[in-house]
Amino acid sequence: MSVIEEFGLVRIDDRLIHGQVIAVWCKHQPFSRIVILDDGVAADPFMQEVLRLAAPPGLQVEVFSIAEGIKVLSQDTPARRTTMVLLKSPLAAQRLYDGGLKYNALNIGGIGHAPGRKNIFKNISASAEEIAILKELMNHGVKITLLTVPGEKSQAFSDLAGRLRD
Amino acid sequence: MINLVIVAHGDLGDALIRATEMIAGPSEGLFAVSLMPGESPEGFGDKLAAALRPIEGQETILLIDLFGGTPYNVAARQVLKENVECLTGVNLPMLLELVMARDNAASLAALAESMAQKGQDSIRNLGPMLRGREATSQRMSA
Repeated sequence: MSVIEEFGLVRIDDRLIHGQVIAVWCKHQPFSRIVILDDGVAADPFMQEVLRLAAPPGLQVEVFSIAEGIKVLSQDTPARRTTMVLLKSPLAAQRLYDGGLKYNALNIGGIGHAPGRKNIFKNISASAEEIAILKELMNHGVKITLLTVPGEKSQAFSDLAGRLRD
Repeated sequence: MINLVIVAHGDLGDALIRATEMIAGPSEGLFAVSLMPGESPEGFGDKLAAALRPIEGQETILLIDLFGGTPYNVAARQVLKENVECLTGVNLPMLLELVMARDNAASLAALAESMAQKGQDSIRNLGPMLRGREATSQRMSA
């Protein structure tokens, strides 16, 4: 059995593509495409246009529901190393993982405040359920790093986990 | 009167309004909806919707700070509404011009188009325009 190549980046950011941040990542690491896996955006062609319009030039933007994405990305290997997989929430990351699309590393770039969520690092908040999900992924061996853009201070989730209640 | 709504990061929108009013005096139909640090796009979307509800159906220009940023991602859909135009890259010259001339335009669409141009025209690189002129103007005044 051949080893499936890792994605360039698997990232949780509820802002999805927001110009500057994606531009900085692209300077740091070569990306050829962004794959957004989100049921809401997948059902919203106008939002897809809004996101594509502002994506850095030369970057292909594809959008799938999570279920569709698992199928498409499991088969398709060519550009994995230069693919950024963008998700909106820890729940999405868990659905991906449990659906068979395994990854070794997960970047958390931004999760905004919402009722039930508390701030855990910089611009990142999480609910008790979301912390439990991240701990579960960590226990599967996924290396989770909290980092908005390369060059800024980052935080390993494993160093934070002991202090976070789920 | 055409409403002007600045949709921007942090304090930028309120600061732009203060600067505009400092030059042009108090203005009606002008307010900001601000994305605060740590705010989720969903929460910001709700805030924007609530802010726009009282002026629903009225002619409105949304002035977004950053093409590609979260205010853009959240507000762009408003352009699908009748009587709404959206501009990105809001700057003080655009805002001043809008405050002073918003009701003289032939149409909302024409106003938006001319403001997109106005914003760009206001950006100048002074070095090539002014460096080396010092000697000339001194000669001229001599």
